[in-house]
Amino acid sequence: MRISDRRFALYLMTPAALFLAVFVAYPLFRLVADSFFKISPIAGGPRDFVGFQNYVTAFTSEAFTSAGWRTFAYTLVVVTLEFALGLGMALLFTTLGKKSQIWRTVFLYPLMIAPIVAGLLWKFLMIDNFGLIGTLLHQAGILSDPNQIGWLSDPNIVLFSVAIPDIWLTTSFMCLVLFAGLQNIPGDLIEAARLDGARAPALLFRIILPLLRPVIAVALVVRGIDAARAFDTILIQTNGGPQSASETMSLLIYRTMIRFGDPGLASAMGTIYLLAMLAIAFVAVTTIWRPGKDN
Amino acid sequence: MSTTSVTTTASLPSSDFPEAQPLRQRRGANREGLEAGRRSTRTILWILLAVAMVLYGFPFLYLLFTSFKTPIDTIAVPPTILPREWTLENYTNALGRSGVLASFINSIQTAVISTLLSLVLAVPAAYGITRYKTPSGQVFIMAALVTRMVPPVAIGIPLASMMASVGLSDTPIALSIAHTTISLPLSIWLMCSFFESVPRDLEEAATVDGCSRLGALWRVVIPVVSGGIAVTAIFAFLASWNEFLFALLMTAIRSQTTPVVIANFQTQFGLDWGSMTALAAVYSIPVILLTLLLQRKIVAGMTLGAVKG
Repeated sequence: MRISDRRFALYLMTPAALFLAVFVAYPLFRLVADSFFKISPIAGGPRDFVGFQNYVTAFTSEAFTSAGWRTFAYTLVVVTLEFALGLGMALLFTTLGKKSQIWRTVFLYPLMIAPIVAGLLWKFLMIDNFGLIGTLLHQAGILSDPNQIGWLSDPNIVLFSVAIPDIWLTTSFMCLVLFAGLQNIPGDLIEAARLDGARAPALLFRIILPLLRPVIAVALVVRGIDAARAFDTILIQTNGGPQSASETMSLLIYRTMIRFGDPGLASAMGTIYLLAMLAIAFVAVTTIWRPGKDN
Repeated sequence: MSTTSVTTTASLPSSDFPEAQPLRQRRGANREGLEAGRRSTRTILWILLAVAMVLYGFPFLYLLFTSFKTPIDTIAVPPTILPREWTLENYTNALGRSGVLASFINSIQTAVISTLLSLVLAVPAAYGITRYKTPSGQVFIMAALVTRMVPPVAIGIPLASMMASVGLSDTPIALSIAHTTISLPLSIWLMCSFFESVPRDLEEAATVDGCSRLGALWRVVIPVVSGGIAVTAIFAFLASWNEFLFALLMTAIRSQTTPVVIANFQTQFGLDWGSMTALAAVYSIPVILLTLLLQRKIVAGMTLGAVKG
């Protein structure tokens, strides 16, 4: 007996769906459930239902709200700079044409490097005393002392310094996606605008960027989600310090769970974090991405 | 790095540069879209590119140079770019440490298992979604997209305790399952794009010839998308190879992967920068070389995944 197409499709999807249900949905369910309990970090320890107590604690704690703002600022900085640099490189590669192909490939190399390695490498470049960046700026006469800027030790700038490896790692991705989008812009259109006397800025803002909109939206949403989850690069560079100045949400949840041994509170924070991500992603997708409307 | 780019240039088929000559003749009259026309403009743009490439490539080159310094020179004040004395001491120190070689084997094992698991689950699922546009398929792809937004830190601890309760804690299997939660949604997404590009007539012809639907998938469609499967495999492998947070939460001594070992150098042995740079280089270079070799396929996969979404 031949089963219907609909059922056949369902059978094909079942293994993957089961996997995601068991290993993603169930842990998420556990996370949400745990957020209503006061849990002892010791295995087999007491577990008391406390209702929304953990949520109240989270929202009233200074650490949580500032970690939220820091995550937001970090994401904004990373995505904005990546977009500007990625677009610049994509335009450069496009205007140089096919001869630049080999360099396009070489430009991709950071994408293959582990974030933990990138964080380590940039820490090594920015660290006080034997960091190369301070020394080079000093030798170039820009800084009077190689340690004048405490890239990773000054609480006022550390959040921007820890973002650098992330930007370095994934500007290539932004460039690649925007480059692919640029290739789909019909040459005639650019030609016609040029004949009408459009100069480079007008060309960019009136024609290229509006046409790239769907691609830009995808790239921003994808990278925004990733940047908001950044963990590895920050952990290895500063471990959230100094004075928690680079402690983003992922790090705070990790420390609450592991160091402070409060799984209940960490779960409440994780739940809020997840809901916020879903809400922001949903708004972003419906307002700028609009799948199905483009192409 | 420079030798790498030279070999890649040499291996490129010459047909990559057919535009080079005719372009200049057509200049102004009919240059292609956004390509710059005037020679002076092009020169400036090439200089810009050179500066960008040097700045972008330098950090990793500096890591490589540092790994060949002596352990003392590694943290000399002021630092030098090139080693004063080239030595492999950092490499012998790093690789000689207990647990380092074992961590490489763990990394490879975990990444291979996770890649296979992702493919086995993603290929049929993506085929089911793209071929039979059923409502359940649409719901499923949305659910897979939402999975991408879940912060790993949120599910890491529950996952770890689940694995412990079935006696799998601190094993490559447990970690590769965790890594598959990351790579499976990505793999489904990529495979959907690849299946989308296979003409429908192909399996219809096969089913008319008496093939079952499963037979048509296995014997006709899979061979056609084998390139796409290879791309998906590379991405799944990389996702696992470079992953750190799950590895940190779910492994102890037995199944520790190299990223965790690299991070541990910082605390366990004071600040051993020399060994860290050497190990980081050894861990990164194989995947960078792999990418340069398979560049076309990888570029195709990334753009498909992101642009078509």
